[in-house]
Amino acid sequence: MSDEEHQFESKADAGASKTYPQQAGTIRKNGYIVIKNRPCKVVEVSTSKTGKHGHAKCHFVAIDIFTSKKLEDIVPSSHNCDVPHVNRTDYQLIDISEDGFVSLLTENGNTKDDLKLPTDDSLLTQIKDGFAEGKDLVVSVMSAMGEEQICALKDIGGKN
Amino acid sequence: MQGFTPNTDFSELHSTMRAIELASNSIQMQISPAASEAIILSLGQSSQPYKTCQFILENSLVATARFQAAAAIREAAIREWGFLNADDKRSLISFCLCYAMQHASSPDSYVQAKVSSVAAQLMKRGWLEVVAAEKETLFYQVNQAILGIHGVDVQFAGIKFLESLVSEFSPSTSSAMGLPREFHEQCRRSLERDYMKTFYQWTQEAASSVTNRIIESDSVVPEVKVCTAALDLMLQILNWDFRSNTSDTKINVFSAGVGQDGDSFRRPECHLVQPGSDWRDVLILSGHVGWLLSLYAALRPKFTYEGYWLDCPIAVSARKLIVQFCSLTGTVFLSDDGKMHERHLLQLLSGILEWVDPPDAVSKAIENGKSDSEMIDGCRAILAIANVTTPCVFDNLLKSMRAIGTLTFLSMWMSEVIKVLITRNTEDGTWSWEARDILLDTWTALLMPINTITVNDLLPSEGIKAAANLFGFIVECELRMASASAFNDEGDSDYLRASISAMDERLSSYALIARASIDVTIPLLTHVFSERVTRLNQGRGIIDLTETMEELYSLMLIIGHVIADEGEGEMPLVPNAIQTQFVVNSVEADKHPVILLSSTIIKFAEQCLNPEMRDSVFSPRLMESIIWFLARWSSTYLMSSDGIGEKILDSGHHYEHSSKKVLLSFFGEHNQGRVILDIIVRISLITLTSYPGEKDLQGLTCYMLLHSLVQQRHICVQLVALNSWHELANAFSTEKTLFLLDISHQRSLAQTLVRSASGVRNSEESSQYVRNLMGHIATYIVEMSSKSNLKNVAQQPDILLSVSCMLERLRGAASASEPRTQKAIYELGFSVMNPILVLLEVYKHESAVVYLLLKFVVDWVDGQITYLEAQETAAVVNFCMRLLQLYSSHNIGKISLSLSSSLLSEAQTDKYKDLRALLQLLSSLCSKDMIDFSSDSIEAQGTNISQVVYFGLHIVTPLISMDLLKYPKLCHDYFSLLSHLLEVYPETFAQLNSEAFNHILGTLDFGLHHQDVDVVSKCLRALQALASYHYKETGNGNIGLGAHAMGLKDSSGEVQEGLLSRFLRSLLQLLFFEDYSSDLISVAADALLPLILCEKGLYQVNDSS
Repeated sequence: MSDEEHQFESKADAGASKTYPQQAGTIRKNGYIVIKNRPCKVVEVSTSKTGKHGHAKCHFVAIDIFTSKKLEDIVPSSHNCDVPHVNRTDYQLIDISEDGFVSLLTENGNTKDDLKLPTDDSLLTQIKDGFAEGKDLVVSVMSAMGEEQICALKDIGGKN
Repeated sequence: MQGFTPNTDFSELHSTMRAIELASNSIQMQISPAASEAIILSLGQSSQPYKTCQFILENSLVATARFQAAAAIREAAIREWGFLNADDKRSLISFCLCYAMQHASSPDSYVQAKVSSVAAQLMKRGWLEVVAAEKETLFYQVNQAILGIHGVDVQFAGIKFLESLVSEFSPSTSSAMGLPREFHEQCRRSLERDYMKTFYQWTQEAASSVTNRIIESDSVVPEVKVCTAALDLMLQILNWDFRSNTSDTKINVFSAGVGQDGDSFRRPECHLVQPGSDWRDVLILSGHVGWLLSLYAALRPKFTYEGYWLDCPIAVSARKLIVQFCSLTGTVFLSDDGKMHERHLLQLLSGILEWVDPPDAVSKAIENGKSDSEMIDGCRAILAIANVTTPCVFDNLLKSMRAIGTLTFLSMWMSEVIKVLITRNTEDGTWSWEARDILLDTWTALLMPINTITVNDLLPSEGIKAAANLFGFIVECELRMASASAFNDEGDSDYLRASISAMDERLSSYALIARASIDVTIPLLTHVFSERVTRLNQGRGIIDLTETMEELYSLMLIIGHVIADEGEGEMPLVPNAIQTQFVVNSVEADKHPVILLSSTIIKFAEQCLNPEMRDSVFSPRLMESIIWFLARWSSTYLMSSDGIGEKILDSGHHYEHSSKKVLLSFFGEHNQGRVILDIIVRISLITLTSYPGEKDLQGLTCYMLLHSLVQQRHICVQLVALNSWHELANAFSTEKTLFLLDISHQRSLAQTLVRSASGVRNSEESSQYVRNLMGHIATYIVEMSSKSNLKNVAQQPDILLSVSCMLERLRGAASASEPRTQKAIYELGFSVMNPILVLLEVYKHESAVVYLLLKFVVDWVDGQITYLEAQETAAVVNFCMRLLQLYSSHNIGKISLSLSSSLLSEAQTDKYKDLRALLQLLSSLCSKDMIDFSSDSIEAQGTNISQVVYFGLHIVTPLISMDLLKYPKLCHDYFSLLSHLLEVYPETFAQLNSEAFNHILGTLDFGLHHQDVDVVSKCLRALQALASYHYKETGNGNIGLGAHAMGLKDSSGEVQEGLLSRFLRSLLQLLFFEDYSSDLISVAADALLPLILCEKGLYQVNDSS
C-alpha cells in the first residue's frame, strides 16, 4: 500500500512541473507543445507575419501524443508556449491480464500494474502476439501531464 | 477470335464491315468497350487487311468505322512494309490520297484527315526506296489539287495533306515507325533539300489565288478556309528547323528535333528562322511579305462583319505568320550591310504599328472590351525583331517613318502597358502582365549583349534617354504598387527570398534598363531613396509609416539589382556599366554617384542600431531587405580583392576603368571598408538579438550575410580585429537570447565564428580563439552527462532545448574545421566522446536529439579523419564502433506503437535519416584509406579501416529494412558504400564469416534487381570487382574468395551454390530474359567477362543446353 501512496505522491509532484514555458519560435517540427491543454507532438511549423510589416507568428500543426487527434495553434513567435514534460520509461513486460491491464517490472524490482492496454485492436494485437510467442518484450511507456501510455515495443530476446 | 483473311468475297467483306461498325458504335456508347476494342485491334493486327479496310472506307456509313479502317491500314502497312511489293505500296498510298481528295467535301472531316495522315506516313515509310519520278507523279496530283482545279474543298484537302506530310517529316512531330533515328533524319534532310521550297511556293500560289475573292467579298466565303490552311502551312514550313544553310553541319541525330516548344518566345534565345539563301526569291523578292501585310490590312476592316472577328482563324494565322517573318534572319538576306534585312523589317514594322499605335488609344480600346490579341502579337513581333537586330538598327527602323526612334516608341509603349497594369491592379494572367513580360524580354534581348561585352556606344543617345525615362516610370510605378499593397495581408509568400525569386527575372530586366542609362538612374535612385528616408524621419511617431516602409523595401530590392549582380557562388564583379560609364576624379571619390547611393543606404541601415528608431521604423520585413541588400552589395564592393577581376575583364581592351578603381578603393580595407564592415556586424548582432522569433530575418543574417563574409580570408583578418565581432562572439557564448535562435541558425553561427579564425594571426592563437569560443559548450555537455540525476532531468523541456542547442553549435564548429583549427576541434570532439555515448543512451527515445548526436559525430569525423595520427584514429574508430553498437542495440527489433499514421511515418523518416547519417559516417571512415595527411601509418596502431567498415556495415545492415530502402537517398548511399567496399577491399570481404557474407550477398542480389539504374550498375561494378579479384588470385595460385566461391554445405547438409556461379546465372537471366536499361549494357558486360572466366565450366554447360 505504502508503495502506491508513494507513487501517487510522486505523480502529484511531477504535475507541478508538468509543462515548461518556451518561446514559440524555438519549437520545431518533432518537438512537443501543449495545445488546448493536450500534450502534442509538432508535425508541421510554418511562419507568417501579422501584416506585411508586423511580427512573425508560428502556425503549429500537432498531434495529441495520446489520442492521435490533430490540433492546430497560431502563436506570435516571440511569445511563450507551454511545452509538456514528456517522459519515457522502459519496463519489461511480465504479464497481460484478462481485464486489459499489463504487469510491468520496474527498475527496482517492483511491479507496476496500473497501466491499461491500448484499446485499439491493431496496437493490441501487436503487443499480445509478441507476448504470446514468448518473446522477451520491453515496453516503453510515455507519460506526460498525468497521463501515460505504451508507445513502443522492443524484443530483447532476439540474440539469446 | 477469327482473323481477317485477305482473300475474301463480298459477303465476308460485308460481315467484317458490320462487325467493325458494331464495335465502333458500341465503343462510343461504352458498351463492352474491351471486347469491341479487341475486335477493332484485330483488324489492324491481321495479315494484309487492306482490301477489307478499303471496302469499309468506301462503303461504310459509320464514320468511326471508316476511321478505324484507316488506322488499321496504317498499322498493318507499317508492320508489313518489308513484305509488300512495290505495286501494293504504291496503290495503298495512292488509294489513301485519292480517298482524301475525293471525299474532301464529305462530312466527318476527321476521317479524311486521318486517311490523309495515313497517306503521309506511308509515303514517308517508302520515301527512301521510291524513285523521284514516282514521287513526282503523286505530287503532281497534289499540286493540281492545291491549284484549285478541282474546287475549293479539294484545294483545302491538298494543303492539309502537305501539312501532315511536313509534320510527319519533322523529327519533333513524326510518328514512330520502329525504325532507327537515322531514317527519320535522312527523310528530313531529303524533304528539306528537294521539296520544302516547292511546297511553300504551291501554298503561296494557292493563297494568292483566293485572296481576291476574300478581299472583295463582305461575308465569309469558302476560300477563307483555304487561305487559313495555306497560312498555317506556311507558318509550319517557316517553323521548320532548317539545317542545310546553317554553319553547324554536323548533326547529332539523337538530339535533333528536340526543343522548339511553343513558348520559345519567352526564352532569351528566341527561335530564329534561317532557311538560307535559296529561299530569298520566294520569301523576300517575290513581294510575299507585302501580300501578307495587305491581306491582313484588308481583313481588319472586316472584323465587324458577320463571321469575321479579331480572333477568327484566318486573322490569327495571318498574325502568327507575320510575327514569324520578324524572326527571319541569316543568309536569306543579301550580305549588303543588312540593308535588305532592314527593308524587310521596316515593311513588317509598318504593318505591325497599325495594331499597337498609338499605345494609349489601343490599350484604352482593350480595356473597353476589344480583343488584346493584336497588342500581344505586336509585342511578340517587336521581341522577334529585337532578337535579330542590334540596338542601333532597331532604333533606326522607325526613324524612317516617324520622328522618333523605335527605342523611344518601345519606351512609350511599355510605359502605357505598365500604367494599365498598375491602375487596374489586376491579377496575374491579364493582357497587361503578358505584354509587360514580353516587352521586358524585348529590352533584355536588346540590352543583354551590351551588358556583357562593354561597348559604350552600342546604344544611340536617344535610346539611352528612352531607357532612362522608362526606368523612371518603372520606379514610380513599382513604388505606387508597393504602397498600394502595403496593407495587403494575403498570401503567405511574403517571405523575402520567395518574393525575390519570383520577381528576380523582372528585377534583372529592370536592372538592365537602368544600367543602359546608369548616369541618370543612379542619381534618380539616390534621390527617391533619400526622399523616402526623410519622410520616415519626419513622420516617425506621428503617422502610420507602413506605406513608406514598403516603398523602401521595394526600392532596396531594385537598387540591389541595379548596382550589383548575383554572384551565384562566384565573386561577382562590379557591373560593366558602372565600371565604364562614370568619369570620376579619384580625389572626389565621395561624389561618385554609386558611392553616394551606397553610403545613403548604409547610413539609413545604421539607424536600426538606435532602439527608438528600430521600434518605430525598422520592421522585420524592412530589415530583411536591408540584410539582403548588404549581403549582395558587400560581395561586390566591400574590400573586393580587385586584382583578379581586373585581369579577367581587361584582357582584350585597354580601358582605364577609373570609376571601378575609385569605387573599390573607397570601400577597400584602407579606406571606408573597415567602418562599413563594423556597421554590418553590428546590424547583424541587432537582428539576432533584438528581433526575437523572426526566423526568416535571422536566417538571412546567418546564411546570407555572415556566412558570405567569412568566405574570404582578408575579410576574416579585418573581422577578428573588430570589437563588434568579439561582441558577437561573446554574445554567442553567453547571451541567453542567442540560445533562442532557431537551432540550425545557431549551427550556422558557430560555423561562421569558427571559420573567422582563419583571420587570426597564427595557428596557436586561432586554436585559442576556437577554445574560447567553444570550450564552455564542451564543458556543459561533459557536466550534463556526469550529472547523477541525468535520467530524471534529461527529458525536461528546458534541458532538452539547451542540449539540442549545444549539440548543434558543436556540429557547426566541427563542420568549419580547417587545417589551422583542426587540432582545437579534435580536442573539442575528443572531450565529448564519452558524454555523447551517455547522451545517446539517455535520449534513446528522443529521436530529434539522437539525430543531432549522430550528425555531430558525422561532421566531426568527416572534418578530422584525414588529419588524425594513428593513435587518434584508433580512438575515433573505437568510439564510432561503440556508437554504432549502442544505436543498434536501442533500435533493433523496436516497434513504435501509435494510432497516428503521420506520427508513424515520422518515426520511419527519423530512422531513415539516422541510418543515412550512419552510412555517411562509415563512408567518412573509408576515406581515411584514400586521403591521409597524418605522419605515420594507421596500421601502426593495428587499425584496419576495411575491417572496421565491414564491421560497421554489419551492425547497420540489419537495421535497414526493405521499407527503408524505398527512400532513394538511403538506398543510393547504401549501395555506394557497399560497392565501394567490394571494389576496394575484396580480400576483407573474403574473410568475413558466413553470416555477414551471406547477408551482403543477399543485398547485392536485391540491388541487381532494383529499378534504379544507378543502384544496379553499382552492384554490377561490385560483382565485377569480386570476380576479377577471384580470377586474378586463383591465377596466382591463391585461394581468392576461397570456400565462398566453391559452394558450401549449409547446416542442413544441402550444397549451396558458390557465389560466382550463382551470380553468373542471375546476371545471364537478367540480360537475356528481363527488361533492363540500355545504359547498363557496358557495365554488365564488364561484370560478365570475369564471371565467365571464373566459371567457364558452368557457362559452357549452359551455353550448350
